[in-house]
Amino acid sequence: MEFFLQLVINGVVIGSIYALVALGFVIIYKASSILNFAQGELLVLGAYICLAITSSGHVPLPAAFVLTLLFAATLGVALERVILRPLIGEPLISVIMVTLGLSSILRAIVQGVWGTDTKPFPAVFPSDPVMVGPVPISRGYLWSVGCVAVLLLVFTSFFRHARAGIAMRATAFSQQVALSMGISVRRIFALSWSIAAVVSAIGGILLGSIRGGVDGSLAFIGLKVVPVAILGGLDSVQGAIVGGVVIGVLENLSGGYLDPILGGGVKEIAPFVALVLILMVKPYGLFGKVHIERV
Amino acid sequence: MESVQVRRSFICCLASMILMLAGEGRGQPNAEIKVGGIFDLTGITSDVGKPFAQGVRDATQWVNEHGGINGKQIKLVEVDYGYKIPEAVAAYKRLVNDNKVIMINGWGTGDTEALKDSVNKDRVPYISASFSGHLTDPSKTPYNFFVAPSYSDQLRAWLSWVKQDWKQKGRNPKVAFFYGDNAYGKAPIEAGRQFCKENGIDLVDEEIVPGAFQDATSQLLNMKKKEADYAYINVTTTGVSTILRDAKKLGLNTKFGSNPYGFSEALAAVAREAAEGVTGVMPHVPFGENVPGMKNLVEFHNRQHPNEKGDALYVRGWSYVMVWSEALKRADKAKALTGEGVKAALETLQNFDLGGLTANITYTPSDHRPSTKTPIYMIQSGKLVKVAEFDMPRKQQWLGM
Amino acid sequence: MRCGDFRTTYGADMAIFETSFARGCVGAFLLLLAIVPVFATTYWLDVVNRIAIAVIGAVGLNILTGFTGQISLGNAAFLAVGAYSTAAFSSRWNLPCLLVIPMSGLIAALIGMAFGIPSLRLKGLYLAMATLAAHFIVEFTAVHWEAVTGGVNGMSVPAARLFSLAFESDRSLFYLILPVAVLLVFFAKNLFRTKVGKAFIAIRDQDISAEVMGVNVFKHKLMSFAVSSFYVGVAGSLLAYQARIISPENFPLTVGIDYLGMIIIGGMGSILGSILGAIFITLLPELLRLLSGAAGGVFPGLVQLFASIKMGVFGLAIVLFLIFEPDGLAARWRTIKNYWKLYPFSY
Repeated sequence: MEFFLQLVINGVVIGSIYALVALGFVIIYKASSILNFAQGELLVLGAYICLAITSSGHVPLPAAFVLTLLFAATLGVALERVILRPLIGEPLISVIMVTLGLSSILRAIVQGVWGTDTKPFPAVFPSDPVMVGPVPISRGYLWSVGCVAVLLLVFTSFFRHARAGIAMRATAFSQQVALSMGISVRRIFALSWSIAAVVSAIGGILLGSIRGGVDGSLAFIGLKVVPVAILGGLDSVQGAIVGGVVIGVLENLSGGYLDPILGGGVKEIAPFVALVLILMVKPYGLFGKVHIERV
Repeated sequence: MESVQVRRSFICCLASMILMLAGEGRGQPNAEIKVGGIFDLTGITSDVGKPFAQGVRDATQWVNEHGGINGKQIKLVEVDYGYKIPEAVAAYKRLVNDNKVIMINGWGTGDTEALKDSVNKDRVPYISASFSGHLTDPSKTPYNFFVAPSYSDQLRAWLSWVKQDWKQKGRNPKVAFFYGDNAYGKAPIEAGRQFCKENGIDLVDEEIVPGAFQDATSQLLNMKKKEADYAYINVTTTGVSTILRDAKKLGLNTKFGSNPYGFSEALAAVAREAAEGVTGVMPHVPFGENVPGMKNLVEFHNRQHPNEKGDALYVRGWSYVMVWSEALKRADKAKALTGEGVKAALETLQNFDLGGLTANITYTPSDHRPSTKTPIYMIQSGKLVKVAEFDMPRKQQWLGM
Repeated sequence: MRCGDFRTTYGADMAIFETSFARGCVGAFLLLLAIVPVFATTYWLDVVNRIAIAVIGAVGLNILTGFTGQISLGNAAFLAVGAYSTAAFSSRWNLPCLLVIPMSGLIAALIGMAFGIPSLRLKGLYLAMATLAAHFIVEFTAVHWEAVTGGVNGMSVPAARLFSLAFESDRSLFYLILPVAVLLVFFAKNLFRTKVGKAFIAIRDQDISAEVMGVNVFKHKLMSFAVSSFYVGVAGSLLAYQARIISPENFPLTVGIDYLGMIIIGGMGSILGSILGAIFITLLPELLRLLSGAAGGVFPGLVQLFASIKMGVFGLAIVLFLIFEPDGLAARWRTIKNYWKLYPFSY
């Protein structure tokens, strides 16, 4: 029983990191119907920027954190302006491909600037774990659970009450209608990209401190989180969070119970198998808006 | 408008072709010996691939500055293959057929194994940084070499350390293996299983971890169930660090050990407290270790890269060049600067002394196990400290595995 | 529209070659290709072989993605299926390659159809994810089904054999790969003159309208998956014959993504585009490697930097193409052709 509990609780906290990164996917998709495959690289970039700020100057960690997020916000706007805007209205696959291209550019930049070796990340949290019942949890993950909870509240109320949030929903519903209502669709796109970049930077800093070091391989999480975003439904904030937790728990349970039987490695593909099965029943994910076609 | 674009694309095409030809057509003087380098500078193993390549590059320059190969200069033609096998195969074909390199300094296990038939057919000595035991049997892979004890011997040495460290008399030590589902990860596992069986070590668990991951809790919990006393982690540095941190979080008492691509100066820096007491096999000494061969290396490194810190991977790259440049010198003296000549010259190396950078190297035509001595290091207060050294016998049945 | 371009029969309208001059050009080009091995070095022959294999795979993917509108990220998996089938057939039963290649294609087609079933309900990105899942499942199978696939150590593939002929060198392989590629390209070109091919296009343009017009959407989607995977499987089979040793590490996800890059840069829904894209994506890294190698020779201290730049330029090329030439190289080719058609009297 304790084994089961440990797996589930660990799955939930790991899932919170997935949820955090998946939020970035969802925000961009919600505004502009783009699935951003460069999310993982944005995360790596965020982690490196934070590392560079803390290690070079005498900037205290909280200030470095804020600076990183500011940088990420600016970067998001710039990326949207330079690369994504010309592709508005192009077919889905072109947009997928451009974000894949973007990811290799970002990877090259990160390598060119910081090299390829694993850089030790400053100890953001004390290393002793926190006990949740019988289960020890690293502090980094606890922070990520906290972040996700806060972001869930923030985004839910943002999309419900804030002008920009409502404008974003309107844009997602129909760009033309939004335009005719006086909403600047461009500004909405830029906003969504900067939010996504900021969320990824937070994820990068958390993951960097959890792993203790940063290198390019951190970007793997970008791909890993794609099934999370799809499972929850690409346009649902709640979906991203539920999807993250579901996949996190699923991974841990299959790792704990199936790996010994099937000889290992099941943990990696379990999310994908589950994804296909769930999509067969719910083709737009658990919480995604069902797209009704009329001809 | 249209025509401007058309013209522009033509000019682009022309320009790139001219550049390409310029790159191809540069003539080479005769007194050069071309050696190929297939490295990973940008792929998933570039964290360790880059310092290794740097070591090879620097040592080549050092040899050139110190008399070269009996007066001839070495020209290192290097290619970054990004740890992608198809790219490595393409790079190999270009190096061998177009650049006419005499031998190649390679990198990963997967690509070395993929190329082993080709190097045999083309008679190109392929000295790679993969210490896979499969490559030590000259009757199967006559042109493959490396400069270290094999992964299998390293694991055997570590298991011997386990036996030595295990003080409890009532039962055998219980051991677990962590490895990745790839050629490098699985290379020593079969040898390890057999060694455990023959030496009174209970192998209780094997856990598979993916190429990149941020959490190994489920694997560690499974291992905890099997109550392993020791665990060997056969993945690269960030993976090892993640496992160690999660183990510390779970409060496990298991003593961990790791392989030469997971255990180096970087591990102590990345895993911090979690790395304390962790052991690792170190076929090549840490950077700056007090051995005679280190002086030239450190001097040259500090001259070339005053702002960087060297590590054991750099030492590894350097010692590779020391070995093959010696072989080139011998082949040159024998007037046999061909692939076959270099292979034959490598096989004349007997107890070749590298000034302590790694154990003395011996190749014979029937045995390509370079050395069998594996030092075991331990991380003690963030420093790599040598705690033991084991010499594995050159058993015939261990050749090639 | 240029002068004299009018047709009086449907046959003329559907013809692959509009004029006998075009037919002559293609014939001459093929002849020229056939003598490439005479003057190419082994390395460039290897590149040409890889291009020809990529052409087959890219045409296959274009049938599915460009012509039927179903996005697939799982191409590397179908390549792997083709390659492993070839390894199994030729090493176990020592079959001649003319049997092994189509059989490998058929097995890939079967697997492709199985993974195409979700397309019944899934569209767009959601379908792309299902194919991504296919990739990981096939990879897992290749690693763990050791009895058949040899696990992580992979399998060695005997040289392609036809009666007493053995295709060992790149030079001889060229004469195996090229005819297969030409044959499959012409098959694809013809496919879209038939009812089935037109049904594919109808599904891409509007699946519900297609259904209304009497196209069995699900059946045709599955057929498209099958045909496409057959092509990719054949490409995988030839890759196995060329590489001679295959392991799961030969088929990473990035290979599938490269294929997507090919059809996007070449032009979606265009056979010519698949060919141009395959050439471009295969040649680009080679040229970049030559350039970065040359640059690294001039500035030895910057080798690492050039390697990183090389990786970035690849992404940059894709991004620039999508921004400035979203219709791909095929559209660019048409522009150039039209420019010269009217030369020197362009308006």
